Amino acid sequence: MAAPGNLAVLESDLQSAVTLLKNLQDQVMAVTAQVQALTKKVQARAYPTEKGLSLLEVKDQLLLMYLMDLTHLILDKASGGSLQGHAAVLRLVEIRTVLEKLRPLDQKLKYQIDKLVKTAVTGSLSENDPLRFKPHPSNMMSKLSSEDEEEDEAEGQSEASGKKSVKGTVKKYVPPRLVPVHYDETEAEREKKRLERARKRALSSSVIRELKEQYSDAPEEIRDARHPHVTRQSQEDQHRINYEESMMVRLSVSKREKGRRKRASVMNSQLHSLTHFSDISALTGGTPHLDEDQNPIKKRKKIPKKSRKKTGQ
Amino acid sequence: MTLTLRSKKFMTNRLLRRKQRVIDVHHPGKATVPKSEIWEKLAEMYKIADVIFVFGFRAHFGGGQTTGFGMIYDSLDYAKKNKPKHRLARHSLYEKKKTSRKQRKEEYKNRMTQFRRTAKASVGPGKKK
Repeated sequence: MAAPGNLAVLESDLQSAVTLLKNLQDQVMAVTAQVQALTKKVQARAYPTEKGLSLLEVKDQLLLMYLMDLTHLILDKASGGSLQGHAAVLRLVEIRTVLEKLRPLDQKLKYQIDKLVKTAVTGSLSENDPLRFKPHPSNMMSKLSSEDEEEDEAEGQSEASGKKSVKGTVKKYVPPRLVPVHYDETEAEREKKRLERARKRALSSSVIRELKEQYSDAPEEIRDARHPHVTRQSQEDQHRINYEESMMVRLSVSKREKGRRKRASVMNSQLHSLTHFSDISALTGGTPHLDEDQNPIKKRKKIPKKSRKKTGQ
Repeated sequence: MTLTLRSKKFMTNRLLRRKQRVIDVHHPGKATVPKSEIWEKLAEMYKIADVIFVFGFRAHFGGGQTTGFGMIYDSLDYAKKNKPKHRLARHSLYEKKKTSRKQRKEEYKNRMTQFRRTAKASVGPGKKK
């Protein structure tokens, strides 16, 4: 038996044990003092929580209960009892689970709580706080006086004369105030967007498509589909035809329209498409040249309008 | 006479007391069919010739197909009320004034010279015919 070895270990242990116990005593006295001060404050109603968030209150109470059970356990252990099957352990476990379940709720509320705290501390919302721009439904209501429209009673044959409308007193038109929205787009972002669009256009050009067909293993498809570049002109034509057929009128075509139409049709029908390719500089990084089937941006000269009324007479 | 008439977008317009439709004419190999022929064909189909009006025929590119509008009124009275005058004139239901605009303005000016100052405003265009 290494009795003197044991004795030496015990001696060193004894020293540290005594110092630890002394520390413990000091700390316990400090904690008790603090807790007593807090309890006095709470009893003096220094922390009113009726108007606070109920979630935070629940958490407060749960944490307090946890602390009480924990101290109870420590007391039992310190006076030599065992923790086996102690009722407080079960209670502790229960409270712990509830607290863990509350944590995601806490996450969700974190933003609001931070904002509340900031408001409470500084006294007002900051300048470009998006919360300032909350919806104002009262702005949606028309500020003009209500216009009464009298419906025409069916008098014999005057259905064709249409409804008569009796407006209220004519007032100055006040444009509605819409909700202000934060405008953030900088020059750089606009450039980026433009580049994105140019890239997309370049990717669907005939050059790239033919390259894809050449190098892919998929079988070649011949589809009778719409032209991938459905031009603005063809869409406008379609719109015009729909309008004419539903309204039963024929719209007149101005000279500019005629020129545009002719240019668009010429572009698509001749051998133009054999030798002119669309601009893929967005992919290769070169300088962009203006695509010819898009409208060239022309500067219109400002011709001063001749005065319509002839003075004199 | 391979004329085929097909009607699309048929609608009964109760407000203007008519039935209106878009008429698609197929005439492969021939020139654009004149309005009178289409009118006759419609008259055959519907048995009433008086109240049918067709207008706005446009031929499609390449020929062979024409699209236009057609309206059938409930009665001649409603047709006279609701139709614009030049269309009625095509069916000789309406006669427009033969005097030219220049003549009318001259007459108006001459009448105005009889009055002074604000009385000139009382001279209407057709007042003293």
